[in-house]
Amino acid sequence: MGAVLRLTLRQLGGRRRLAVVFFLAAVPVGLAILLNALLAQEADFTDGFVGGIIDATMIGIVLPIVVMTLGTAAFGNEVEDRTLNMLVLKPISRLSIVLPKLMASAMIAAPLLVGATVVIVLVALGDGGARAVLAAAAALLVGVMTYAAIFTWAGLLSPHALGFALVYVFLWETLVNSFLPGARYASVRGYTVGVLHGLDDTTFASLGENAIDLSWALALAGLTIVVFTLLTVRRLKRMDVP
Amino acid sequence: MTSGNAAVSGAAVSGATIEVNEVSKWYGSVVAVNEVSFQVRPGITGLLGPNGAGKTTLLHMMAGLAKVSKGEVRVLGQRPRSNPSLYRHIGVMSEHEAVYEFLTGRGLVELAARLQGVEDVRTSTDWAISTVNLEDAQHRPLGTYSRGMRQRMRLAAAMVHDPEVLILDEPLNGTDPRQRIEFEDLMRSMAERGRTILISSHILEEVEKLADTILLIVSGKLAASGDYRAIREALDDRPFTLRIVTDDPRALASALVRLSSVDSVAVETDGSLVVMSSNVADLQRSVAALARDLSVRLYRVEPLDDSLESVFSYVVER
Repeated sequence: MGAVLRLTLRQLGGRRRLAVVFFLAAVPVGLAILLNALLAQEADFTDGFVGGIIDATMIGIVLPIVVMTLGTAAFGNEVEDRTLNMLVLKPISRLSIVLPKLMASAMIAAPLLVGATVVIVLVALGDGGARAVLAAAAALLVGVMTYAAIFTWAGLLSPHALGFALVYVFLWETLVNSFLPGARYASVRGYTVGVLHGLDDTTFASLGENAIDLSWALALAGLTIVVFTLLTVRRLKRMDVP
Repeated sequence: MTSGNAAVSGAAVSGATIEVNEVSKWYGSVVAVNEVSFQVRPGITGLLGPNGAGKTTLLHMMAGLAKVSKGEVRVLGQRPRSNPSLYRHIGVMSEHEAVYEFLTGRGLVELAARLQGVEDVRTSTDWAISTVNLEDAQHRPLGTYSRGMRQRMRLAAAMVHDPEVLILDEPLNGTDPRQRIEFEDLMRSMAERGRTILISSHILEEVEKLADTILLIVSGKLAASGDYRAIREALDDRPFTLRIVTDDPRALASALVRLSSVDSVAVETDGSLVVMSSNVADLQRSVAALARDLSVRLYRVEPLDDSLESVFSYVVER
């Protein structure tokens, strides 16, 4: 597993890709700093600000796009350039190929996204937001792992995974999730917000209306990770490798 | 070492390291491989056929990369599909020359050794790289390699675990004449150690120097199998059409029609001759001698229908 993990980290760690994901993660941080500087004197500014900006920008947009960029490439690049056979023609289980691929996406995305979210919390709340920092870190970690499982599978499924993933994120995770309250039970955004609110329902009280219960969020996110990991293994076993 | 459809049974199967039995592969309505049967035994076997004949599809099924639509493939007695443990005994080099360009040559071979579960990765890597004579370039990124060097390092990666069966798809692509000779020596030494080596190519001359036996695939079917010399003779006997451009076509035409190797001669409107022959080797020798004797100049002598497809198709029709 270690050899595949190191290989995938090098594959995904290309300068251009890292520059894109770093830029994406930096945008909400810059926005938070700007809004904080401009509006911090308003009486009702703090209420809902940190939860709102994390949900609207980090969880709603940056998290899925960053993990999509990495996750779809974990297998997608090898399918496209036909190097996948170098891995599958080895005496290792398919799970030993899939898990490091998934982990590599998460290992690059998580520090970046968790770090950016923690900075947003600290900008908004200062030193008094320790619990919020932990909640944000845990929620983003759950979101990264869940999206990574889905997008790793998508990368193996289709050469157009990135396009399909974009449509999925904006149609399902953003549009449908906003208008159909029940959709949050089948939405990674719903699970992420559920964990965020469940671990700190004071700071993130403004998200309570849309948040699912913490235990449900964790269970459904875990189930999604397991299901999509197994689907990826199944796909790798059954596909004709180019 | 290799036999065709009729031999797939009984004692002929014993000793075969690769068995392909009534195998077909189709993609939607397109049939890529159609009911092919053969066995491969230790030694070097050439899988020959024009581009698009189904060679790669066959090799992919033998390597377990592609699902068999109908029939059965066995390598070392086991089905290769969804059977990762079998890869401890098989080395495969695909036709696609893509590599992880950010890795060094040594990095690629080491990666293969680690994934193969080789006990002494360093020693095995050293051995494989020295076998392909790339010690000097081993620490350079693969992205800086020439095509031939890349092929050789890919070969080192495919054989780093010293497999019993080596499946190589167009391994000589991009190699120069010196590298080809080294490759041939390497394959022969592996064959002498009892290894089974299956090499695909669309170039007859490439395979005939190496392979004891040949499997000829045309349009997804096994057209011929067995000793390469018999197949070579069949190819040489095929009807052949030449265009000859000369300063005196009528004189040369009347001399050519008297040759036993010439079936017909036509003078085209542009003055060139179109000559049909069933013995091209004899004709090629005779044309120059006739031109000299008649004191006519030859401006051009060229085959009109010498594509591999037509050559292989002729063997199928025989």
